[in-house]
Amino acid sequence: MSDDMPDFSNVKGGSSSTATKVYVVVAGDSLSKIAKREYGNAKEWNRIFEANKDILKDPDKIFPGQTLKIPPQ
Amino acid sequence: MENRILCTLIVSTALVLVACGKKEEPKTSPTPAPAPSVQPAPAPAPAGVTVSSLTTGSAVSADNKLSVATETFAKTDTMYVSVDTTGSGTANLAAKWTYRKGDKVAVVKEDSMTVNTTGPATHEFHVSKPDGWPAGDYEVEVMLDGQSAGSKKLTVK
Repeated sequence: MSDDMPDFSNVKGGSSSTATKVYVVVAGDSLSKIAKREYGNAKEWNRIFEANKDILKDPDKIFPGQTLKIPPQ
Repeated sequence: MENRILCTLIVSTALVLVACGKKEEPKTSPTPAPAPSVQPAPAPAPAGVTVSSLTTGSAVSADNKLSVATETFAKTDTMYVSVDTTGSGTANLAAKWTYRKGDKVAVVKEDSMTVNTTGPATHEFHVSKPDGWPAGDYEVEVMLDGQSAGSKKLTVK
């Protein structure tokens, strides 16, 4: 970016949907990381865990390629 | 001798009966077998999810519809783009916000989400800047599965 262009590095963004948002787990993910990304708060990981209890038995065990439902905020 | 006559009579009677029962075939050339018809391939199913409309504004309601629709924003506004989709299936939606000054373009923010829809749905992307937006021209482009689904020009005053 050239010097005379504004700095947008502090821009905050987000998204939501009336449909079910889904997230495909990638290597290095944890429910806390996903909660931070989706809700801006890592402590909300339990919402994702509760919504995916049909496929998750242990919140510390998620695997790359798993598709998780992301409840709306 | 009587047996021979009797046999001849039986055979003759049988021949007469067969001849009487024979139907006269019309003397036409044989009808060619119909060529195997080529059925047109079924039309491809419509794409799973399609964008039906996108609008911008400074506030959305709980259903992700814009409660304040505008393309002109104040410096402290949060900018929203609301995207209506139809169809069902899994799709990736992305929004790319850019700032334009002359022929220069700066990427403000890019965000994406994957959704699983079962019918019409409304989605929103938003951006905010804690220290306020620089005045000028902006644009948001929405992409569906990597393909542009439309864009909107925005102004911050």
